Amino acid sequence: MTTTVLPEAHSPHDAPNVAPPGARRPARVRRVPVSLALSVAVVVLVVAWALLPDVFAHQDPVTGVPAQKFLPPGAAHWFGTDHLGRDVYSRIVHGTASSVLSALVAVGIGVVVGGVLGLVAGFVGGWVDAVVGRTVDVLLAVPGFLLAVVVVSALGFQTINAAVATGVSAVAVFARVMRAEVLKVRRATFVEASTLAGGSSLHVLVRHVLPNAYRSVLALSVLQLGVSILVIAGLAFLGYGDPPPASDWGLLVASGKNYPLAPWLVLAPAAVIVVVVLSVNRVSRRLRQA
Amino acid sequence: MSRTTTRPRPAAPVRALARAASVLSTGLAVALLAACTGGAGATSPSDGGSPRAGGDLTVLISNFDAGWVPSKSSISSYEGNVWGEITDKLVYVDPKGAVSPWIAESWDQSKDARTYTLHLKQGVTFSDGTPLDAQAVVTNIDTWAKGDPARGITRIALFPSASYDHAKAVDDHTVEVVFTKPTLGFIPTLGYHGSILVSPKSIALSLDEQGDLSKEIGSGPFVVTSWKAGDSVVLAKRPDYDWGPKVLDHDGPAYLDTVTYKIVKEDSLRSSAVQSGQADVAFNVSPQEIETLRGQGFDVETPRYLGFVHGFKVSTKAAPFDDLRVRQALQHGIDRQQIIDTVYTSDWQAATGFIQGTVPEAGDFSSTFAYDPEQSKKLLDEAGWVAGADGVRVKDGKALELTLYPTPYIITSEPIDELVSQQLTKLGFKVTIQRLDVPSYLDRLTGNQSIALADVTRSFVDVGTVAGVLTDSNGGEDWFAVGHSDATLDRLSADISDASDAASRKKLVDELQEYVLDQGYFVPVTQIVQRIYLQSPKVHGASFNGLAYANYATAWVD
Amino acid sequence: MSGRHGVFVARRVGQAALVVLLTYVFTFLVISVLPGDPVTSMLRDPENGFSDQDVQQIVAYYHLDQPVLVQLATSLGRFLTGDLGVSLRTQVPVTQLLGDALPSTLELTATALGVALLLAVVVAYGTQFLPPRLGQGIVRAVPSAALSVPSFVIGIVLVRTFGFQLGWFSITDPDSLTATLVAGVALGIPVSAQIAEVLVANLDHERTQDYVTLARSRGLTSRELFRRHLLKPSALPVLTVVAIAVGELLGGSLITESVFGRQGVGTLVETSVTGQDLPVLQAVVVLAAIVFVVVNLAADLLYPLLDARLRPSARSAAPVTAPARTLSDAVAGAA
Repeated sequence: MTTTVLPEAHSPHDAPNVAPPGARRPARVRRVPVSLALSVAVVVLVVAWALLPDVFAHQDPVTGVPAQKFLPPGAAHWFGTDHLGRDVYSRIVHGTASSVLSALVAVGIGVVVGGVLGLVAGFVGGWVDAVVGRTVDVLLAVPGFLLAVVVVSALGFQTINAAVATGVSAVAVFARVMRAEVLKVRRATFVEASTLAGGSSLHVLVRHVLPNAYRSVLALSVLQLGVSILVIAGLAFLGYGDPPPASDWGLLVASGKNYPLAPWLVLAPAAVIVVVVLSVNRVSRRLRQA
Repeated sequence: MSRTTTRPRPAAPVRALARAASVLSTGLAVALLAACTGGAGATSPSDGGSPRAGGDLTVLISNFDAGWVPSKSSISSYEGNVWGEITDKLVYVDPKGAVSPWIAESWDQSKDARTYTLHLKQGVTFSDGTPLDAQAVVTNIDTWAKGDPARGITRIALFPSASYDHAKAVDDHTVEVVFTKPTLGFIPTLGYHGSILVSPKSIALSLDEQGDLSKEIGSGPFVVTSWKAGDSVVLAKRPDYDWGPKVLDHDGPAYLDTVTYKIVKEDSLRSSAVQSGQADVAFNVSPQEIETLRGQGFDVETPRYLGFVHGFKVSTKAAPFDDLRVRQALQHGIDRQQIIDTVYTSDWQAATGFIQGTVPEAGDFSSTFAYDPEQSKKLLDEAGWVAGADGVRVKDGKALELTLYPTPYIITSEPIDELVSQQLTKLGFKVTIQRLDVPSYLDRLTGNQSIALADVTRSFVDVGTVAGVLTDSNGGEDWFAVGHSDATLDRLSADISDASDAASRKKLVDELQEYVLDQGYFVPVTQIVQRIYLQSPKVHGASFNGLAYANYATAWVD
Repeated sequence: MSGRHGVFVARRVGQAALVVLLTYVFTFLVISVLPGDPVTSMLRDPENGFSDQDVQQIVAYYHLDQPVLVQLATSLGRFLTGDLGVSLRTQVPVTQLLGDALPSTLELTATALGVALLLAVVVAYGTQFLPPRLGQGIVRAVPSAALSVPSFVIGIVLVRTFGFQLGWFSITDPDSLTATLVAGVALGIPVSAQIAEVLVANLDHERTQDYVTLARSRGLTSRELFRRHLLKPSALPVLTVVAIAVGELLGGSLITESVFGRQGVGTLVETSVTGQDLPVLQAVVVLAAIVFVVVNLAADLLYPLLDARLRPSARSAAPVTAPARTLSDAVAGAA
């Protein structure tokens, strides 16, 4: 599931930003596309869910009203109720923090660890570069999802560990991109000039490398966020996250599938995952085009 | 995390999400909805008609992970299905506990209930052609009673081993069994699913070889034709079989040509497969589907076995459950009616003690474990557990923690543990649920006294054998980790297994139930239906014995 | 020339072998050095119910009483002689467990790869030749949409629709042709989306090249144009992507096998994770790394050969995904 490596491969830095054929429209007024606006709205909403679940969902996500089990979606329960009479909407909202924030943790680990590795490798070069390079090779050689599964099984089944595991599997991508950025900037004439003019490495780093790298790392981060949400959902689906009554989205789908007669138990969390990832990816696409 | 039951509030962000969702994923949603509503139309229930010979039956089951060593898996809820088809027993026990002849045509009991003489049916053979004679029976009884520790073969836990002296072949079809004390439980236990008759050749195999199902030779109506670990077991009928239990009223071989057990791990896949006609029987489907399935014309059998109710045995070695007050708080802190209402259907009944209602000695002890959360809180307060800021009680810096391991042997154990967790959380427990598959569960929980609460899903045929698992006397399982520290428990257990008449034994059993429940050793949940069989309407005639297993020797398909 | 090629091959093979070895070491370290030391803590945890004798045997076999480096050396030595150890849970040699599980998974991943390529090409064709107003935009959105759906959701939907509603396959026979095909679709969709994204980007790029304009002016049909002039040059970067995707298919098989009730490497991982059967896990990781490395090595070595044959015109500038010398370059993208 290291899908990120691919789209990044045609990032604007190494390729002309190709317009779709037949898309040679006259310069249009800069207008935010509807899909982008919607996507941003979704992202904002989800962050709000994660931070302030109680504001958005008033029903108890943990303790249900058993008499009200398996109610289909309706006015009182927008996404229906589950096998213990818990409000599914409320469970989804309260599960946002561990589903989405842990994806942020994962990306954070990827950016920081991978970024530092890439920076150091690119700057120092030589054997350091070789060591980092081989480490990254190893991380890339193991399928991302499998790597995450192994790490989480070594750390223990908790959502935070799933996040760490997902982060580990993202380190390689960030390391590569960061290293590439460093090398590119180093080769660029203005850096050479700067170095000649007596700029220290740190100066070069702060002044030239980071500002240049930030855009591609940011775009990659957002894209990786979508991937991480999927990976963490997959881990939760397999039962490697927090156990019930936690309500990670993947876990909700996993337990919902046991009740085929209540399709909303799968439908609702699945739709939420899809919409959120789709929105995150849309935002990421926009960032890469910018 | 405050929450109130609330009326719907059309929050603007949600509408935005809904709009986004409809724009972005209408297609997916439609596909999902279509896919989820599931359920191919069922055929109408058929009236059965007359039995038809021939035909094949496919049974879906979640696993055979406990392996095929008879002493280890004969009483497993999963493997037990197969053992029941490929082996016979000396007696047959019906769902009400009535004992009737099978391989033992008749038996005599001495007045002191210490010596039994079994008269065997003649002409019975194992599937390899060797006779099932008195010597073979003696070998089996010896193994059930004592196992073979040197080879790692364990005894059958609910066999009255404590008082077992010896068995001997008087002649080819007469066996004499002698006990050192009165043992009323002996004959009924011959119908227990641990008491399966296996060829002495198979018994002589090493533990490793015994794990190979194709080497297990029985005398049952079916024989193993092939099996693949983690995948399937295929049985074929024995054409020369003619010694089924008399009460089943079925002479000669099975109607079915083959029975195939196919492993399908996912619960919902099993029921959907039967619903859509891909298989004939699904073993264990979610109780919450039962009503709908029956409405569609499917037959759902929910046999209750003779034995213990479903409940938790509490280890007194696992702190804080070494404290009587904490155990009692637990005992009164579980709302069992809510569990029945939420997880189960009207096929399930409330427990009235730790013994199933179908057992003659059951009795009603509901008051000893009545739901009383206020009482529980008081007990916890008294025990020194003080509620902290997050609602979790603390004592000496330690939180009141409890880990539940939902047993993989009941399909409902996870939702039950979730409910129990909710209920206990309200009392100030911090409950964690850890799900394990069968091998990990067995590895981790078997005989492990550091685990506070473990599910009990155990059948027995005769209440006299109960004592054998409660304490550690004579190799008992010591369920509550009390060792010999509890004189009352020791005395009651010993007296029950040694009782020589049913009336005095019933009194002792009453006393035992009262005591064990009051001590919070055993925390009942509900009467158990461990085995749920979803059958396609074209399956007829399956019979169910006192251990609640389906018997397909009498079944046929349209 | 051939001598230089020989050196290149030897270097790549050496690198590949090194990566496999390092993967083994890395996994070993993750498993035995991470906080908590899973193996020993699992053995010592009274809740796990290992007998003292079990513990001693396992400790002796894996040299757990000695420093990590000694353990690593022992374990690495065994690995180099093809001994992957013994399952902690079933006491069966790991090689045997893998051997039993592998065929089904290979079948599944091969099917999935086929499906992925086919879907990707179909989508790519759509992006090039569907009129913009007649759904090209939608087709262009397909890959990213497909990448947003969790694979377990795809699996559940396909099983319920094709297995139960339409009855195309029976869940009781998950290895049947149809069942494998549908499972392959479930596993292949996310990968096909990735391939499609790269393919489309390259097609868009090729399209603007002079030789394509020339070919169009000669009146080639869309199909011919697509096949002869667009697809072939775009196939090169796709090769790199496919090589990477193989690893993902292996990882994805975990969920797909579980949802479709198949028995394979994925389910082996699942049971090993629940049972904390670390030797098995380690073996699967290394196996995945070997497959990945071999496939990528093959792709890297094939690349120069294909490049010379397929490239229709020297004027065609660099394709969009770098004409990677090595996988690493392709991944780095910006390198």
